[in-house]
Amino acid sequence: MSGKWQLKDHESERQIFNRRLIVAAALIFLLFAALILKLVNLQIAQYDYFSTRSDGNRLHSQYVPPARGLIFDRNGDLLADNQPIFNLTVVKEQVEDLDTALQTISTLISLTDDDIEQFNNRMQRNRVPYSSVPLRYVLTDEEKSRIAVNEHLFPGISIEPQFVRHYPLADLAAHSVGYVSEINREELDSLDDLQKENYGGTNHIGKTGIERTYEDILHGTVGYEIVEKNNRGRVMRRLDRTDPVAGKNITLHLDSQLQIAAEKALGDFRGAVVAIEPSTGGILAMVSKPGFDPNLFVTGISSRDYSVLVTDEINTPLFDRTTNPYPPGSTIKPFLGLGGLHNGQVDYEFTIEDPGYFRLPGVSYRWGDYTLRTVIGGGHGHTDLQKAIYQSCDTFFYDLGNRMGIDSIHNFMSRFGFGDNFTLDINYARTGVLPSREWKMASRGEPWYPGDTINSSIGQGYMWATPLQLATAVSIIANDGKVVQPRMLKAVEDEPFDPVIANPVPDVMLDDPDYWRYIKEAMTKVVHRTFNDTFRDYGTAFEAIAMADRDMPYKMAGKSGSAQLVGISQAVLKSEDIMVSDLNKDHGLFISFAPAENPNIKPQIAVAVFVENGEHGSSVAGPIAKQVIDTYLLDILQIDFAAMEAAEEPLAVAADD
Amino acid sequence: MLHLDPPLLVSLILLGCFGLMVLYSASGENAAEVQRQALTMLVAVVVMIFVAQFDVHFFRRWAPSMYAGGLALLGMVLLIGVEANGARSWLDLPGLPSFQPSELMKFVVPALLAWYLASRPLPPRFKHLFWSALMILIPAALIIVQNDTGTAIMVAMSGVFVVLLAGIRWRIIFSGLFALLLVSPAWYLFIAQEHQRNRILTFFNPYRDPTGAGYNIIQSQIAIGSGGLYGKGWGEGAQSQLDFIPESNTDFILAVLAEEFGLLGVLFLIALYLFVLARGLYISFGAQDMFSRLLAGSIILTFFFYVFVNMAMVSGLLPVIGLPLPLISRGGTSIVTLFIGFGILMSIKTHGHLKSR
Repeated sequence: MSGKWQLKDHESERQIFNRRLIVAAALIFLLFAALILKLVNLQIAQYDYFSTRSDGNRLHSQYVPPARGLIFDRNGDLLADNQPIFNLTVVKEQVEDLDTALQTISTLISLTDDDIEQFNNRMQRNRVPYSSVPLRYVLTDEEKSRIAVNEHLFPGISIEPQFVRHYPLADLAAHSVGYVSEINREELDSLDDLQKENYGGTNHIGKTGIERTYEDILHGTVGYEIVEKNNRGRVMRRLDRTDPVAGKNITLHLDSQLQIAAEKALGDFRGAVVAIEPSTGGILAMVSKPGFDPNLFVTGISSRDYSVLVTDEINTPLFDRTTNPYPPGSTIKPFLGLGGLHNGQVDYEFTIEDPGYFRLPGVSYRWGDYTLRTVIGGGHGHTDLQKAIYQSCDTFFYDLGNRMGIDSIHNFMSRFGFGDNFTLDINYARTGVLPSREWKMASRGEPWYPGDTINSSIGQGYMWATPLQLATAVSIIANDGKVVQPRMLKAVEDEPFDPVIANPVPDVMLDDPDYWRYIKEAMTKVVHRTFNDTFRDYGTAFEAIAMADRDMPYKMAGKSGSAQLVGISQAVLKSEDIMVSDLNKDHGLFISFAPAENPNIKPQIAVAVFVENGEHGSSVAGPIAKQVIDTYLLDILQIDFAAMEAAEEPLAVAADD
Repeated sequence: MLHLDPPLLVSLILLGCFGLMVLYSASGENAAEVQRQALTMLVAVVVMIFVAQFDVHFFRRWAPSMYAGGLALLGMVLLIGVEANGARSWLDLPGLPSFQPSELMKFVVPALLAWYLASRPLPPRFKHLFWSALMILIPAALIIVQNDTGTAIMVAMSGVFVVLLAGIRWRIIFSGLFALLLVSPAWYLFIAQEHQRNRILTFFNPYRDPTGAGYNIIQSQIAIGSGGLYGKGWGEGAQSQLDFIPESNTDFILAVLAEEFGLLGVLFLIALYLFVLARGLYISFGAQDMFSRLLAGSIILTFFFYVFVNMAMVSGLLPVIGLPLPLISRGGTSIVTLFIGFGILMSIKTHGHLKSR
């Protein structure tokens, strides 16, 4: 048979074909079996798994953040509230070309490099897919319009409203009220699981001040919502909702008007003012100047703004001067005096002849009297305890302190809050240093020298106190020893803040309660004792306060102080050739309370003023205290002293008591 | 008397109706789309009946000419082809609705091969295989150039099935497979395009790119799996209604079916397909001459290939290949071509079938 014309064997061909067909049928059968097995696996064996994932695709639980509680001052004025702002947000999955979109947008609104950097940081963090990330906060109305008109140009980018914290007083109460800002990793980690849940929908947490101290009360409880979303992340329906519980509103003892007046009183100086209401311990004002605008921190401060704040080494606006320690200087003299009376080292009749300096027996060194800082003959001369206070005679107190000994000074002064934090809700306040033998050995490994005591007796050396502590201490004097622990919080919603204190600080009990009157009288003379025939027998603050305001309707008690930073001789200070840098000048301090020595009304306010590099406590810090007290007694409480005096029967209970 | 095969007709119509139901849900309750599909099916059924009236010999005689014409059309596409869905495979001639010549090759190529091999002694010898290969590869290459790999594979397979059924030696089959296996790494490394590589990688691990390449298959599996035994109900499939399944009315429509009608629904579908397949195999078994047998066998095996590849891909047994599910997925030319194939089957059955002995 030749190749081309072979006859076809139809039968065998058919057999081949049939065999192949059978093989095909078998394969079809096997393959379908495999397919069915796979489907059974998916739809039966793994049904639960896929069912859950199917729900997971579409069902999302969202947190509904609670509204943050508001912060009011004692009069109901807002210190912190929540205001709506409008942000530009991006949903990355819906944006086609992010870079082009950003470029387009930067032609419409202001978009700094800093903004973009912060935006990128936020994008890097773990985020829920299809959730929006803010690109820029706080769009102005004009920017909003521009974006709205061009919105079709960039899908995935839209305007979202948000409630943010707003501080009406801005830099006037920045340190005390504090601010909220975005939660960082560390803070999140420090929360336990339950708390983390609560912060699910919130980005912000109180960072400083009251916002932080009362974070738990202000934050509220988070709510939940189960929503059904489609593939694009759009919410289709809400299925279930647990409403959030708003944070509670709180009222502070602060008086905005007083806060503003205190800040104004400091003028161009840097410094601090702390004012306390002695009867309640309520903190009426707490100003640290210069301040900063806490509103900048709420939506995330730009690194440029922040570096401005941080690198300002002179103003140090972020530094809270009210709760940081300085040498108290002569302001501690009244306390030392009380201690001396109580322990018996002095009495009303005790006097010294002040030569202007002090010497320890057997030691040649002379401790000079800094109040005078002159070498013109003699010091204060014939001086008793009261004169030593109203003339601020260092020599008297060198001697008194030397005789008391540092440990006895320590034990007595600690009852007034020195070296301690008596406040109920300012736990970040520093405690300064109230030195003692034990303290020096423990912290410096050195023994205590008599000279140390002498320096401490005028509030220098190792003695350090914060303006808050000074205000606390002077309000205890105003209260005749009754300790009402200072607090910022006045009420939560309608309920007054009156906590049961676990270990209350005991009142200061003196052998003879008349000592209070004696010392308070001395302090009143500081302000009111006029110049008279006796040499150097006037109150150090008389000229600056009582003489400057001859008609002041009430009496003010106080004590000045100068805290030395660098030992500069009087000669240098007075010389015209040498300029002493401002930053080396002494600090000025003044503690006070008012009204003093008034049978009709108890002291309503105790104030401590600290003026950085202000030099003289009497002439610089004193008038500031006076302004603050004037504002409080006359403008705010509007006490009519004249009427009270003229009344036939003295008013038993004063206003706001 | 119309030349029809009732069992085939009924099962095809059943499949079509079921498909319309699923399409309605998958297209988001879009009545317009369903109407369009129904119309296309109607046209396809009419074409099928029309084709079935021709005698098998007619196809045998015209096979070579049709092949030549097909090649010409493919050539035209290269020159004036219109693009749609990423493939430049449409011809938009004035007066005619736009169509894809590549679709026509799905039965023209097996027809030609059947004509060629049936007139020669079987099993085919080497030189027959050589020419067969050419007859397959030329149109396949032209279609690949159109960037429509899916259809190219289908056309190639339809030709290959003819060769397989014609009795090519097992030795050759296995060495061919073996050679393919050897070549595949080289293909993967040097010839495969980026997206094709992605599909292979994603097949082995869909989670390597869960929001990108793996998304389709992951969502598809979730939809299928969550359908369970009974399904979530017609129109109630969350995955489909909320747009989680991409291509839900074309390639991945099985996922919608599985989610809404459950395993029972899928088994019903498989049963219908099996019936059609069984009928087709029976027809090719009993065809009166080799040409008819080869052609019928190839048509029905190609149909199986279509069904199986799509269902395997959607359930994750095979990498994603862009092939729709016949009679269920939305389609145009592809449905008509399918029914032409069934028309040929009916023709074979009614014109030249051996009566059962």
